[in-house]
Amino acid sequence: MAEASIAYHGVGKRYGKLWAMRSVACEFRKGEVVMLIGPNASGKTTLIKCLLGLVRPTEGHITVNGKAIGPDPHYRRDIGYMPQISQFPAALTIGQLLEMMADIRMLGKDELEDSLVEELGLRAQLDQRLSTLSGGTKQKVSAVLALRTRPSILVMDEPTAGLDPLSAKRVMQRASGVRDAGGTVLITSHLMEEVEAFADRVAYLEDGSLKFLLPVQEILASTGAKRLSEALPIMLEARLTNDAVQ
Amino acid sequence: MLKVFKYTLIDLARNRFVLGYALLLLLVAQGLFALEDDPTKALLSLVQVVMALVPLIALVFTVVYMYDTLEFTQLLAVQPIRRSSILGGQLLALALALLLAQLIGLGLPLALHSPSLAAAVLSLSGSALVLVFAVLGALIALKQREKARGVGVALAVWFLFVLVYDAVLMWGMFTLSDYPIEPFVVPLAGLNPIDLARIMVMLQVDLSAMMGYSGAIYKNFFGSAAGTGVAALILLLWVTIPVLFAFRVFQRKDL
Repeated sequence: MAEASIAYHGVGKRYGKLWAMRSVACEFRKGEVVMLIGPNASGKTTLIKCLLGLVRPTEGHITVNGKAIGPDPHYRRDIGYMPQISQFPAALTIGQLLEMMADIRMLGKDELEDSLVEELGLRAQLDQRLSTLSGGTKQKVSAVLALRTRPSILVMDEPTAGLDPLSAKRVMQRASGVRDAGGTVLITSHLMEEVEAFADRVAYLEDGSLKFLLPVQEILASTGAKRLSEALPIMLEARLTNDAVQ
Repeated sequence: MLKVFKYTLIDLARNRFVLGYALLLLLVAQGLFALEDDPTKALLSLVQVVMALVPLIALVFTVVYMYDTLEFTQLLAVQPIRRSSILGGQLLALALALLLAQLIGLGLPLALHSPSLAAAVLSLSGSALVLVFAVLGALIALKQREKARGVGVALAVWFLFVLVYDAVLMWGMFTLSDYPIEPFVVPLAGLNPIDLARIMVMLQVDLSAMMGYSGAIYKNFFGSAAGTGVAALILLLWVTIPVLFAFRVFQRKDL
């Protein structure tokens, strides 16, 4: 079994009296794609935000490559992040934004993987202001920002929402490429075809709890279903957890 | 921090609101100097406009900008840089953009039509108000989750400093007119940065005589070098204390 790159140790987050996530304990390994699924407000985004340092856990802690994350931001050098909503400074151009982010990470051109700019058809638009871009093009820019730094941990929140099918395919292929290079990829998605096509393991969250984190094959085998879209409802109705399946 | 500052400033340099602010100030200042034959009278009218308009624009613009760039701030916050660098860069860029707009909109007409010490003090006081209210705006945006609520709080703060505070002070002065309250007027004025800035300009055009005994106290206190130093220190505190709070809030904020 591959080494864990990310580990959640009893992590929970409370907003006021409401627990958005409670006692999550799991590991995400090197060389795998984990798809996070679950209904709205199930805690997927909170789980991701805790890892990214956007949200401070109320309980527990997270380790990245064996080190507990805290206020020191350096661990984020290894992380690429594609948010669900892409909003950028309106008056900057795509080129300026790419330059800014590389500047912040102190990365030279030779350290960046910019072929995705070409692949997603952004080369001709580099001088275009971000305020003039469509939602889909902003998503492409966001994907480039997440992937061009060659991250060993890639976090994507609904990455294909708003993307055209070809761009969605290319972005997901790149995400798989991160996995193939030994990286860890966490993706939230509502699309079962996408989950089935790319996931090595599936994490299901509900009411802020991690109900199960299982390989796709195990989910299919335990339910007898041929497709994940059929297997998941069976799992949920039977209230199956990791232990029950194993 | 300098990288965030640099690109935020590039973004703000093309911001229509900032350009509009410079143009608005320029039109108002030029208009007042064109309408009045006496530059001192025009300057006094300009003082009233600046003391009301500058805090309002600085507050509301900062609040709106902070909310509008929240998603981008999140993206910055997942980069390997400290949160203090993000907020520091953004605040510096916001303050500089507003100050530059003010330099063009207010500084140029003042230098052209009324090159005096009073004009310089008005320009400096206006700049101090930009800093104070931009920082207060940032603090409001960081404390309030919803944009509409944030703008509402910003408007309430502006209303408090521009109108309510003076009204309460006046009411207190009238009600307690039988008591020797004038010595308390100076520290009370110091609590309101707008009043403090206004007094500093008024003293330069020697209108303190029109402000009665209180005016004499202001002149005695703020007219001296030490008094000016105290006024500058108070305005500095109005900037630094909210800045420290803003950094503290941003450091702990869930984005």
